[in-house]
Amino acid sequence: MPVLSAQALSVVRSRQQVLKDVSFSIPQGEVHALLGGNGAGKSTTLLTFLGFLAPASGSVHVQGRDVHENLAAARRAIAYLPESATLYGHLSAYENLRYFLSLAGTDTDRDELDAALDRVALQPEARGMRMQTYSKGMRQKVAIALAILRDTPILLLDEPTSGLDPVAIDEFNRLARDLAEAGRTILLVTHDVYGACHVADRIDLLQSGVLVGAFDRPPGMDRIDTEAVHAAFAKHAAA
Amino acid sequence: MTMNRILAIAREEIRLRLRSRLALYTLLIFAVLLTATSIATALRMSEEHRERSEQQALAEETFLSQPDRHPHRMVHYGHYVFRASPPLAMIDPCVDAVTGQSMFLEGHRQNTAMFADARASADLGGFEGLTAALVYQLFVPLLLIALGHGLIIREREENTLAPLLAQGVTGIELYAGKWIALAGVALVLLLPLALVSAAAVAAGGSMPASAGIIGLYALYLLVWCGLILLVSALVRLRAPSLGVLVLLWLGTALIVPRMAVESASAVLPIPGKLTTDLRMQEELREVGDGHNAAAPQYRQLRANLLAQYEVERVEDLPVNFRGVVAESAEADLTEVMNKHAEERMALEARQARFAETFGWLSPVVAVAAGSRALSGTDLATHHRFLREAEEVRFDFVQGLNRVHVEQLAYSVDMNRSIDAESERRTRMSAENWNVLDEFSFRPAAAGERLARAGAPLAMLFAWFGLLTAGGVHAARKMRP
Repeated sequence: MPVLSAQALSVVRSRQQVLKDVSFSIPQGEVHALLGGNGAGKSTTLLTFLGFLAPASGSVHVQGRDVHENLAAARRAIAYLPESATLYGHLSAYENLRYFLSLAGTDTDRDELDAALDRVALQPEARGMRMQTYSKGMRQKVAIALAILRDTPILLLDEPTSGLDPVAIDEFNRLARDLAEAGRTILLVTHDVYGACHVADRIDLLQSGVLVGAFDRPPGMDRIDTEAVHAAFAKHAAA
Repeated sequence: MTMNRILAIAREEIRLRLRSRLALYTLLIFAVLLTATSIATALRMSEEHRERSEQQALAEETFLSQPDRHPHRMVHYGHYVFRASPPLAMIDPCVDAVTGQSMFLEGHRQNTAMFADARASADLGGFEGLTAALVYQLFVPLLLIALGHGLIIREREENTLAPLLAQGVTGIELYAGKWIALAGVALVLLLPLALVSAAAVAAGGSMPASAGIIGLYALYLLVWCGLILLVSALVRLRAPSLGVLVLLWLGTALIVPRMAVESASAVLPIPGKLTTDLRMQEELREVGDGHNAAAPQYRQLRANLLAQYEVERVEDLPVNFRGVVAESAEADLTEVMNKHAEERMALEARQARFAETFGWLSPVVAVAAGSRALSGTDLATHHRFLREAEEVRFDFVQGLNRVHVEQLAYSVDMNRSIDAESERRTRMSAENWNVLDEFSFRPAAAGERLARAGAPLAMLFAWFGLLTAGGVHAARKMRP
């Protein structure tokens, strides 16, 4: 049974059809990337899995259950990293993590917080400082740490490497792979072809709300063929 | 879990406020303003209360210490009564500031209350009008608007709404948490009011009425919290949210109250004093002049008395006919004057009730009505003062007339102008001036005041219920 699936999903926002008849499914332990340009419908797909948007037709399922009929269960199973997550500027990284985790009903001690922040390579001296002094990349790292600490079977990540430097992007890719190998299912949306090819087991190419291509990691390879994906991306972007 | 989440959200909001120096300083400034206003009003009311009590005692002493006189001269000498403001007027002086708190009582006339306190106005350059009630009714909502207009919008603007909801927090939990945080600020702002209420209770004010006032203002501020949060949930940007709330404040705090007064005057006009006085004078003329026992209006009274005592001449009556005429005329005049006074008071009360119905359109109108009712400074209290003062007037005038009837012989009375000795013989002992009852105006019982505040309270509860229902609806539909 796929952990995440969309079946003939269509979504209308502000009277405009943003997704048209999109179908895909993601098995447990897979990193699945939705790749597309601006306005392709990538973030809309994530918001539909979270139940923030209702399908105009079709359905989305989390762990085999229709999201809109089991909203609370779906949200319990998902950790979500929004695009440009800022969290609260007046709180430190520790305070932000404790607050959001308490809302999710997750108890964590300082060591667990530090372990997660170590994994995203946030400097120890910054962790007690208010986040309003953080760079965009540092804030993104805290948001990723939050997603990890939720300890949910599913992670939905919206442009997770946005604002990260190349070293941090590599670290994130490794982290995502580790999490997938540990059994977590990851759906990430990005317009970064290179990053997607390195981290994902499968890439679905989304263009103007329609799935226009799919690329799988070949067995035994450490990444998807970047040139093939880039070519398809460019072809559909020009169309 | 739900309550834990709600409280966590509320705690976080309060932590943000505490870390924001601007919010903290604004709160401190308001707290100082409220405390200073409350203390200033309390001191002024306390001073006025003491002064009026002293004046009342002095007026009674002056009346009672008058020398032997003709009783009818004492009727015209008159007497003053003073209305000491109730202790809760420290919070809301309301009509006390404009209706006057003293009245000159004399025979054959009902004077209007006079001497509204203008001294404080001169001392404070007009700031005496800034009472605790006004600050709570008008300015605390503005502070709450400043603090709360962005409560939910901020989560959208700072991109934290989606992570919050993604943690499993429901829109209702988020809304409730924000509401508790804002309501917490509102309740903290009630502390100065609680202190003044405690001072009022210590000064003899009613405990249930004081508790009622605190409850009333708490409900009023919670209504504003509901309104502010609802707008913050429905509008997506801070500037329009602030604009909408300021417009709502202008409408409910300034425009609707003005409309209420203007509409009440237009729908239920009250004739001017000159018009009603002229109309009353016409009726009084028909009653007759009690100083003239030979007036045709008293022929029947004379005939009845002669028949009752089986005598032929008024000189043979065992009572002073002039006194009987004065007594009868006073009763008739008072009946006419009371009829007009009651008509006027009924109209004023209808106007006040009509204006009060605008509380369904504005919580400011509702809280103001409830506040003055509970403080004992409403129109009904003023009307009761007028009635009680009139009772005192009528009783002492008729008491003196009774002395005239029973203790002063008609023949002596008729010959009072012959010479000084004749005049001296008409003087009655000063012991007779004890007809004057001690006047002490007391505010209505707490139960009565709470009952009068019932309608405004119902309006505020309706506002609260409506806004809560609106908030729940908006919260259920909350999306990033």
